[in-house]
Amino acid sequence: MNPPSSLPASTMGRRRFLQLGSLAAAAPLILPAKLRGAAAPSNLIHVAIIGTGNIAEGHLKTLLGYPERVRIVAVCDVDRERRDRAAALVDTAYGSRGCSSVNDFREVTRRADVDAVWVCTPDHWHALIALDAIRHGKDAYVEKPLTFTIEEGRALVSAAREHGRVVQHGTQHRSMKRFFDAAGYVRSGGLGKLERIEVSIPPNNRFIGSSWTPEPVPATLDWDLWLGPTPWRPYHSAGCHYNFRFIADCANGQVANWGAHYLDIGQWALNADDSGPIAVEGHGHFPTSGLFTCATHVDFTCHYANGIPMSCRTRQDGGGTVRFIGERGWIDIARNAMSASSPDLLREMQRPGKSVTLARSDNHHENFLDCIRSRARPVADVEIGHRTTTVCNLGQIAMTLGRKLRWDPVTESFPDDPVANRLRGRAARSPWSLV
Amino acid sequence: MNTPDSPPSPDRVVVVGAEAGPNVDPWSQIVRLEHGGDGSFAAIIREQVGRTPVAGLAKLEAQLLRALADPAVTAAGRDFLCSQLALVGSAAAVPVLGRLLAAEASADAARVALERIPGPEADAALLAGLSSLSGRARIGLVGSIGARRSPGARETLSRLAGDAGEHAEIRAIATRALALLRPASTGPAA
Repeated sequence: MNPPSSLPASTMGRRRFLQLGSLAAAAPLILPAKLRGAAAPSNLIHVAIIGTGNIAEGHLKTLLGYPERVRIVAVCDVDRERRDRAAALVDTAYGSRGCSSVNDFREVTRRADVDAVWVCTPDHWHALIALDAIRHGKDAYVEKPLTFTIEEGRALVSAAREHGRVVQHGTQHRSMKRFFDAAGYVRSGGLGKLERIEVSIPPNNRFIGSSWTPEPVPATLDWDLWLGPTPWRPYHSAGCHYNFRFIADCANGQVANWGAHYLDIGQWALNADDSGPIAVEGHGHFPTSGLFTCATHVDFTCHYANGIPMSCRTRQDGGGTVRFIGERGWIDIARNAMSASSPDLLREMQRPGKSVTLARSDNHHENFLDCIRSRARPVADVEIGHRTTTVCNLGQIAMTLGRKLRWDPVTESFPDDPVANRLRGRAARSPWSLV
Repeated sequence: MNTPDSPPSPDRVVVVGAEAGPNVDPWSQIVRLEHGGDGSFAAIIREQVGRTPVAGLAKLEAQLLRALADPAVTAAGRDFLCSQLALVGSAAAVPVLGRLLAAEASADAARVALERIPGPEADAALLAGLSSLSGRARIGLVGSIGARRSPGARETLSRLAGDAGEHAEIRAIATRALALLRPASTGPAA
């Protein structure tokens, strides 16, 4: 086979060019003008949305706002009602009937005319779907948390690098000015010597009792495929859409739901995007019966090599925040609010010209779309996402075992705890596999 | 009243063993575990597994294996016990798990444990499973063999990768697994 890089982009076509991302990424990128133009249909990035729940709906509507850059060609969900509703939304927006509506993700990850996928499924599916997409030449936007286990995360990073794919983690705080300002301010020493970081997350808010009765699977739902790699259990309507995040076989509760966002900003401020803590300790309150098995109260602390601790705790009085505490005071940043021990700190924080300049994005979707074109790494690149998700997993493992654990962020292993090491991954239910 | 949107309340966090009384041995009850039923006995055992020091793991493993050998164990109980053996199981658990692996109905449960148990005994048990499993259980088994990255699996994986009679997914997994294999000169994974 001829080396694909011997073909000029203009000859091989834009789609083929995008799918040869590993080679394209290795060389300076000079796209012909006609490929950069917005009008031609062949210049549109063809996207498939996998998982069409409430998170996906937000992405879908956002992407419909870029008709000059994106064409949604397929939606996929194991719930027929949901996927058909999503397809109708797309077709209505485009005034056509061209959006495919499929049950099995492999029908889109292996489709030649798809350039990128949005993985918006329950957490236990993120890694395997993204891996299949990457292996078949697609770029991927993966909702948070990036993966369910640490081993899945490393496999995803390796595959993305091997195949030269662009992977954006759905931690959109990285593209919000206040978090950019805060991370840069802390990194630049704006708070003086940083003493600690405190992340707060909301509580789990689902409960149906200490026992539950299995229900018939709706005719519109492929329950076997919904479960996928996670251990089999009978269907219950309260344990499926959205609520999966409170079931320990599928997700890591609010640690991975909200913690992924705010721990991510802590990692950013700590300059730990390619490393992580060196120890973790904590405890959680885990329901001992019932459908929802994730911790209802979370309290863990990660310790970093520079001596700074980052804690993550459940709060009962509000949503998520990240608070940075230093010798000059504190700043507290949330998605919709920010406060500080002194108004001066917030004014300073928002001023340009910090000594440390971080990667800047003002729009998480546009950043990903830009990187699909440029083959550059996005602002929440897969390695960054993996390291943040690992912090969530470390907290989960420490709470499960109830002891302080040393962690080696280079080997991604616990140097002296064999049980903890086994919790870095799990076997998938047949026929699924991480390999 | 607890509705799906109600705020957390103290009764959400379990009354352990509520249905059977406070003095029931969780090890005697775990074999009756059912999906949707009282999970408090599993929670007690899960906590024991997490909190037991390394020196006590062999005794704990023996307890898990005794429960697994109970002819009355339910499918949910078996799956739970295997999930705990995934964390603390050793070569001592492999013969039992190997037998479970051979039957399609229990193959996944056994594989959940075997994939995570280090050592050549578990490697050998997984390879032996190829002689009895077919269909989706066989695909999952090849995935587990590949996940362990054991150099001893190279010959088998090479054969699977090139066997046109195998399912396409098996050939694909085996091919990827070969690329992940550790060099023969290195030791086992931590």
